[in-house]
This record gives sequence, C-alpha cells and structure tokens, in this order.
Amino acid sequence: MTNYPDGIVKDPPKWLTPQGLLDIVTPVLQGMGQRLGVVFLDLLAVGVVWILVSYTVNWHSRGEISYTLAPWWLFGLVTVELAALWESFGHSLGFKVARRELVGPGGAPPTPGQRVRYFLGWHFTVLPLVGLVFQRPWHERWAGLSPQPISLEGRIPPPWWRTSVGIYVAVFLVVGLAAATSTTVDEESLNRLFTQAWRTVKFWRALFSPDQSIILPSIRDLLVTIFMAVMATSFAVVVAVPLSFLAARNLMRGPLGRLIYTTLRGALSIMRSIEPIVWAIIFLVWVTARRAPFAGVLALWVHSIADLTKLYAERLESIDPGLIEAITATGANRLQVLRYAVVPQIINPYISFTLYRWDINIRMATVVGVVGGGGIGQRLFFYLKNLAWQQAGTVMILIVILVWAIDYLSARLRAKLA
Amino acid sequence: MIWGYVAYGVMYLLNKYWWTVPLERFYSTLSLPSWGWPLTILGTLEMAVLCRNLGRSLGLRAFGLEVWGAEGGPPRVGQRLIRLLAWHFSGLPFGVGVLVSPQRAWHDLVAGTVLQPSPPQAARRRAWLSQWGLMALLLLGLTIWLGWLIVHIDIGVLFRRGEEGLRIWREMLRPDFRYFAVPDPVFELRNLPYSILDMAVVTLFMALLATVLGALVAFPLSFLGARNIMGFSPVGWGVYFLMRGFFNVFRSIDTMLWAVIFAVWVLWGRPLAGVLALTVHTVAALGKLYSEQVEGIDPGPVEAVVAAGGSRLEVIRYAVLPQIAPAYWAFTMYRWDINVRMSTVIALVGGGGIGDLLFYYKNEGDWAKVGAVVMVIVAIVWAMDYISGRLRERIT
Amino acid sequence: MAEPYLVVENLTKVYERGQVVALKDLSFTVEKGEFLVVIGLSGSGKSTLLRCINRLIEPTAGRIFLSGVELTKLSPRAMRHMRRKIGMIFQQFNLIKRATVMTNVLTGRLGYNPTLLTLLGRFPKRDRELALKNLERVGLSEKAYVRADELSGGQQQRVGIARALMQEPELLLADEPVSALDPATSHSVMQYLEQMNKEDGVTVLASLHFLSLARRYGTRIIALKDGQLVFDGPPEAIDEVKFKEIYGEEAEEVEVR
Ligand SMILES: Nc1ncnc2c1ncn2[C@@H]1O[C@H](COP(=O)(O)OP(=O)(O)O)[C@@H](O)[C@H]1O
Ligand SMILES: [Mg+2]
Repeated sequence: MTNYPDGIVKDPPKWLTPQGLLDIVTPVLQGMGQRLGVVFLDLLAVGVVWILVSYTVNWHSRGEISYTLAPWWLFGLVTVELAALWESFGHSLGFKVARRELVGPGGAPPTPGQRVRYFLGWHFTVLPLVGLVFQRPWHERWAGLSPQPISLEGRIPPPWWRTSVGIYVAVFLVVGLAAATSTTVDEESLNRLFTQAWRTVKFWRALFSPDQSIILPSIRDLLVTIFMAVMATSFAVVVAVPLSFLAARNLMRGPLGRLIYTTLRGALSIMRSIEPIVWAIIFLVWVTARRAPFAGVLALWVHSIADLTKLYAERLESIDPGLIEAITATGANRLQVLRYAVVPQIINPYISFTLYRWDINIRMATVVGVVGGGGIGQRLFFYLKNLAWQQAGTVMILIVILVWAIDYLSARLRAKLA
Repeated sequence: MIWGYVAYGVMYLLNKYWWTVPLERFYSTLSLPSWGWPLTILGTLEMAVLCRNLGRSLGLRAFGLEVWGAEGGPPRVGQRLIRLLAWHFSGLPFGVGVLVSPQRAWHDLVAGTVLQPSPPQAARRRAWLSQWGLMALLLLGLTIWLGWLIVHIDIGVLFRRGEEGLRIWREMLRPDFRYFAVPDPVFELRNLPYSILDMAVVTLFMALLATVLGALVAFPLSFLGARNIMGFSPVGWGVYFLMRGFFNVFRSIDTMLWAVIFAVWVLWGRPLAGVLALTVHTVAALGKLYSEQVEGIDPGPVEAVVAAGGSRLEVIRYAVLPQIAPAYWAFTMYRWDINVRMSTVIALVGGGGIGDLLFYYKNEGDWAKVGAVVMVIVAIVWAMDYISGRLRERIT
Repeated sequence: MAEPYLVVENLTKVYERGQVVALKDLSFTVEKGEFLVVIGLSGSGKSTLLRCINRLIEPTAGRIFLSGVELTKLSPRAMRHMRRKIGMIFQQFNLIKRATVMTNVLTGRLGYNPTLLTLLGRFPKRDRELALKNLERVGLSEKAYVRADELSGGQQQRVGIARALMQEPELLLADEPVSALDPATSHSVMQYLEQMNKEDGVTVLASLHFLSLARRYGTRIIALKDGQLVFDGPPEAIDEVKFKEIYGEEAEEVEVR
C-alpha cells in the first residue's frame, strides 16, 4: 500500500489486466458500434421512406393498408444500395447524427474517385459486417477516406435544401403525410365532413340549452369524480415517494443499486405507456362493474404511481449535493441528513408535482368514466350513447367548468409554492 | 376568514351527511334531512369560533393578526376561553360586537385581550403543532375518509376476486400474436380486414397527421394570442381575448369528447374522426403553449429590428422566431408524444386506430389477443416517447 | 515530544470515475491553534484534501490522525462522533435555503441531539439560546427568523460560520470560504475565522484562492499542485519564484484589499 502512487503509474503489461484488456477492446467496439450505428440509421431512414411510399401506393391502387409493394428481396436490395449511395456520395443522416463526415487525408474533401471506391468497398466490408472489426475498415483505407468530426472552420454551411439530410427530412415529411392522409382519410368520411355538418347542429344547439333537471345529480357525479382523483393521487403519493428514492440515479449506486434503478425505471415506463383507460378496462373486469368508481381509482392510481415516481425521481436527481455534505459534516446520521438536507430541497416540488398530477387525474377521471369507470364520465357516456344531446351538453359544460376551476386552483397553488 | 369558513363548511357538510344518511347508493351523497342543514351551519360556525379563539384562525393568519393579552404577552388559557364564550354574544348575532366597537370588539373587552399585528420575527411554534398544520392534517384525513366511502373503496375485492384478476393477467402475459401481420378473419364481418400491424401504423399516422396539422394551424394563431405582438389597441385586445378564449375552451374539452362529436359528424370508427379530434385539441393546447412562449421573449431584439426599420412581419421573422424556435419544437415533440398516447385509445369513442382491436377483443373476452395489442401499444408509445425525448434533448 | 494535533500521512485519493489522481502521497502536520492556509490552482486537490480529513470523501490510501486518533480507521458511527468536533464551511455556503436562519444554525447541533427529537424539528432550549448567542457573534441576531435565501452572500456565509460554531469545534475546515464573495465582504468573513482561531483556539484549515488573503490571515501556508505538496512554510517565504512555481508561469499576483 505504501507505494500506491507508483503503482498507479507503473502497471503490469497492459493486456494482462482486465482493465488493460478492456482498454484495448473498448475502442474497437466503440469504432464498430459507431459505424454500425451510422449504417443502421441510414438503412432505417431509407427503409422507412420506402415503406411509406408503399403504403401510399397500395392505398391508392388497391385500397389496402399494406406495406408490401415489391418482393422482400427487392426491398432489401434497393434499401441497401440507396443507403450505400447516400453514405458515399452525400452526407447521410447517420453521419449527421454521429456528427461525423467523410474526409480524405489532411481533411481534404473527398474526390469523386474516392467516393466511388468507398461505395464499392462498402459492399465487401460493411455488408458482411466482419470488415468493421478492424480499427479502420478496409473500404475506408482503400478509398483513403475516414469519418472525422465535422469541422465548420472556414466553411459556410449550405442551406438545408442543398444538403442531403435536409432533402431527406423534407421528402420524409411529404411522403409521411401522403401516407398518413391516404390511410386515415377516406373519401366517404371526408364527404360527410363537408356535407353533414348539420348533424352536429343539434348538438351545438343542445349545448346552449342545458337541461336543468339533471344538474343536481350531475354535480353529485362530479363530486365522485373529484374524489376519485383525490383518492388515486393520495394513494399514489404514498407509493411513489418511497419508490422515487429507488428510481433516482444519484442515490442508487453500485451494481445492485443500478439493477434496481434500471428494472424500476423500465417497469414504470411500461406502466406509463398504457393509458389509464386500458388499465380501467382491466380493473373493471377484475373488481366487476358494480364497483366502477373503484376500478377507475385503481386505473388512475397505477398510472399516477408511474408518472409521479418519474417526476419525483428526476427532482431527486437534481438536488444540490453541497447541502448533504454540509449536514454530514456536522456529524449528523443518515436520517438526520435526510431530514435536513434532502427533505427541504424536495418537499415543495413534490407537493407541486402532486397538485399537477391531481389536476391531470381529474381530467383523466372523467375520461376513465367513459369505459364505465364511474363518476361523471360514465353519466356523460350514457347520454352520448342514447343520443341525449341536451343532457350530454349540460354535463360537458359542467365538466369544462370543473376542469377550469381545478386548473386555475392548482396553477395558483403551484405558483405560490414555487 | 371567509375562506376558512367555506372550507370548514364544505367539509363539515360532507362529514355530516355520512352520519345522518345511510349510504346505500352514492347518488344520495348530498341529501341531508331537513334538520341537517341548520345543524350543519351551526356546527360549521362553532368550529370556526373554536379555531378563532383557541389558535390563530386562517382568517387571522391571512391578515397577519394575532390575539394578545391586554398587558402584552400571549393570552392565558382562561382569557381564551372567556373570549370564546363572549364571542357567541358579540360575534354570532351578525357581528354586533364588532360593528358597535370596531376598535376593540366586545369579546376582546370582556376577555381583556387585543388583536394586534403579529410581530414579524417572533419565534413561532412549529408548523405541525400549530392549528394550521393540524387543520390541514384533519382536512386531509377527512377527505380520505370521505373519498373512501364515496368511491366505495373495497380492497378486499381485489383478493376475493383474485382468481379472476390473475386469470386476466396470465392470459395477457401469454399474448396471442397470430394476427399480428395477417388480418383476423372475424373482422371480415366488420368490414375491417386489418391486422394489428396495420392498425398500429394507422395509429401512428393519425398522430402524425394530427400533430403536423395542429402545429401548422397553431403557429399563426399563437401570434394572435400573444399580448406583446397584438399591442394594446382595441382591435388587438379583441383578437387577443378571442384567441385566448378559444384556446382555453377548446383545450378543456377533452380529446375523447371531441372524438365523440366528430364520430357523429363523419363516420363512427373511421380514423378521420380521431384525427380531427386530436387536431382540434392539439391546436388549442399548442396555441396556448406557443403564445405563452411568444409572450415570454426578450424584447431587446424586437427593439433592435424595429429600430432598424423592420415591419411587423420582419420583426416576427428576425426577432421573434429565432427566440421561440427551440421551444416550439420542444412543445411540438411533446404534443406528438401525447397524441400517440391518445390515438391508441381514441377508438373507444369511435376514433379509429389500434384501440378498435383492443376494445373489440376485450368485449370478446379474448385476453390473450388483448395482451398482444397492449404489448404493441406499449412498444409504440415507448419508442415514440424515447425518440421525442431524444429529439427534445438535442434541440434544447 | 508531543504528537502534533493533526497528522496527514501519505494521503492518496484516486477518483474511480475518470481515473483522476487528485492527491498524491501527501504528508504534513498541523499544530494546535494554527491557521493553515491551503493554496493552489483550481483542480489542484484542495477541496479533496479538506474533505478527506473529515472523510466526506474516503481516501484511497494513507492515514490521518487527529489528536492521536486514526480517523481513517474509524467506523462510520465513530466518524460521525468525531465530525461533531470538526466544523466545516463551504464556498457555496450550503444552507437550507427554504428554512430560517435559526433552523440552519441549529443543524450544527444535530450530532449532539437524539435523532428522534431532531427529526421532529425539536432542539433543547440550551441549543436555541446558544444559537442566538452565536448569531449575535456573527452580527445576525436581527435575522434569526428570516429565510436563509433572503440574505446576501456575506450574510449567508456568516450563517455558515454560526452553524460551525454551534458544533463547538476544535478544528475548522473552510473550503474557499470567500470565493463567492466580493473583496470587502471577504475580509469581514475572514476576520470571523481569525477571531475563532485566536479567541477560541480553534485550529483552522482554510483553502483560499488569493495569495494576499493567505498572507494576511495565515500563520502557515501549504501549496498544492496536481495533488502534490509543492510548498510548506510561513507566508513570508513565498516569493516571486515560488509563486510562479505554484501558479504557473503566466500568473500575476492580484491584491485583495
Ligand atoms: N467526484 C469526482 N470525480 C472525479 N474526479 C473528481 C471529482 N471531484 C474532483 N475530481 C477531480 O479531482 C481533482 C481535484 O479536484 P478538487 O479537489 O476539487 O480541486 P480544487 O478544490 O483545488 O479546485 C480535479 O482534477 C477534479 O477534476
Ligand atoms: Mg474546490
């Protein structure tokens, strides 16, 4: 231990130690990973455009939603060739994202001959992938080109329509919109949109002549909705606060901590990806439709846990470590550090996030009602199903008022907390 | 003070019904027997009085006042009790005691106390011990208690029907991907011969179209809804309020409700209805975010362009746009994310997309296929969330 | 011969992340009652050194003794016990911004009080009185119930000093206590440190950026460069040549008045 500082400087042969081995393997893998990433992105970009075109053409020629326009081998061939051409003769998306460009020795711009050689060589090294193991793949050596960080020194960046990436994004948007409009907009419904506006007239008229007899029962349902949001939020807080400490990267150190962090974050983001409505249909079957509000609460609860934990954990990740140091330095123990260094920094943001989530939950609670999750949403959907426009309009007005009021209230409270 | 009363009043009222009305159906939540109302009002007042005199009520706190003994120092317990009793005679009958001698109300005279501005730097009691903190806790407890009853929370049922729940989960976790790429034959009857993959693509297209359309419409509107651009002329004010009102009203009607309207208008179950619903909500939501961003710009560059003789459009092009562009992109990405999420379920109210399959299979009770659809949804949402997060990171 | 008050032996710190050797084989001793100033460029390891002494950072190798106790061998629990006697103040003050000055100062007593009470925010009457006394000492008795983030930088640092005073420390570590302050405020803060050193006999280890401040307040100076000790001696011994050696060729000395 005494000669430790020397030990740091003079190591045994590099490739013998695990660290040394890692040092040798890492750059190879990194170089490979980067080149693979570039190729993968380009293939993806070209492929996606091709698929979008297929959707458009298929819809118009055969009236089908289908991505098969050509046999798969043609699709593969065209994609690969286009990607290769793009990489060799333009500045492809992959290179752009990796912030690299192809340059000759000494930073000279590549000549056409070099580009052709790069294109040809590409087929022999990149396609079978083995060529990428070498630090400088063979096609790069043959062409005398290498990817270097983009330097803008002494150059005027061309306008976007002169760069291939700019053109690509434009083409992508155009083709994407074309495919999107052709598959989602059908003639029949478009016709109706313009010719059947009168169908909603009844609705608009009803909206402005509310049915007063249902106001009181609707207010009761509103109350149920509010309480659904309150219950879901408060139960979610109880779970999310402890979880947030496990989901904060700066607190979860070490291999075990990393493992917990990663699994928890993954699970939470899956929970968050499923809309509360979907949760609600699952819970409705589980607890039976007789307890609809409870199912709604459970659905909102699950979604809120995921959302709140993420918000809380992000806040925890940005706390000032200085205060923790200061309190630790006074000889305080872990609990005291938590109480005096962590809690004061997070309490107000936590409350503010909770209010925000409560606000969202009220809105979602009305929506969850639509699948039978109880509260005002259920009533609204009942009227809508029975084409009782006047009653539906009344309920909608009430919902809008409630949402406004809650929005305003929670914004005011949050402004006060900040 | 009023706020204190209202808060206590509402809570007390809600509390009250539980004692007097047996809760069979939650539709009867607000009904009180005829004698309940006076009792409620009396109880509320009594509570307010207690708080006023034993601690510092919310009202007193809001005005920065405190009850003090006449000879200085905090009032003794006896003084507080006397004040409490006296308050019923001076405060309750429409506040005569206060009205007659506003300087020092009757109950203060009797108890030998005064109301004073509280000294700013006095050592306060700990918040959690003070009446305010206690009140907050009490309110919270009451709310949860009430909520528990109103919502009919019954945790036991989760276990009693645990079998059922487990079955759903088990089936969903063994998803049936048979119809991932080929259309499910049962749909031939519904005239919707689409596979899960087709529907996933349609869903993404719906979100894409709605976001692009929404952003395109919201962009010019946002300038009309920004006060600093519209100026202070009567026309400017008018347009500003019109735009803001439009944004607010249309935003607070949920996408799902818009979908219902459009589903009636065009055809039920067609993606176009969903696209339109998403677009309308997107315009309102983005318009509000955008215009707030425009209002928050640094006026320096605007002055510079105006000073150089720029027209209003030139001001927007050279002074405003560069400042707001990153935030606009970020908001649009964020909205794209939300639209993807919404479009997965909008089918429920006739909006079309992958949700159509989800709810169809659910009604069939075919949980294995529901599981497959849910997994596809998770994959889509997750991937889009990731992409939009990465793009937002790069932009800002 | 009596053992010196603080002994640092072959102290080495390697940051795992980035493989930075922040301190290299550092050895020195400090006598009781000294005002030792640590100087050096940014990144030379001053903060690391100070934090190794109260083990906010775990040293990689080497030993540290405080009045004969080997700090580097203590259990976390015993180390917490020791930290009560080691005050620390920081460049960024590190106060609880949302809490009152009083609460901030009282946190200096956390190590002395039972956890249960402090978690509820209760401190004995004696501590509250002591807090007021210490605030008076740093001239802030007026501000006892003001929120910490409403104070100016100099006042915040004085709250930091009061917090350290609450610990009734024997040793005070000050990590660039005046770097975030303007020159006039710097002197007033340094004078409080000097006062603690002279009147209470607290041994002070302060890292400073300005040599002029170091000369004015220090009884001894050590200089770090790339984690190694390059100078150890009285303030007067730093001449032009030494200065260039510590701070590099291009450096010019700046006065702080
Ligand atoms: N947490 C850390 N992880 C990795 N390296 C660090 C860390 N903290 C400091 N270092 C490095 O250690 C060296 C010494 O830092 P520091 O002690 O903060 O110097 P000083 O306080 O003199 O500016 C610097 O090179 C710094 O980059
Ligand atoms: Mg430092």
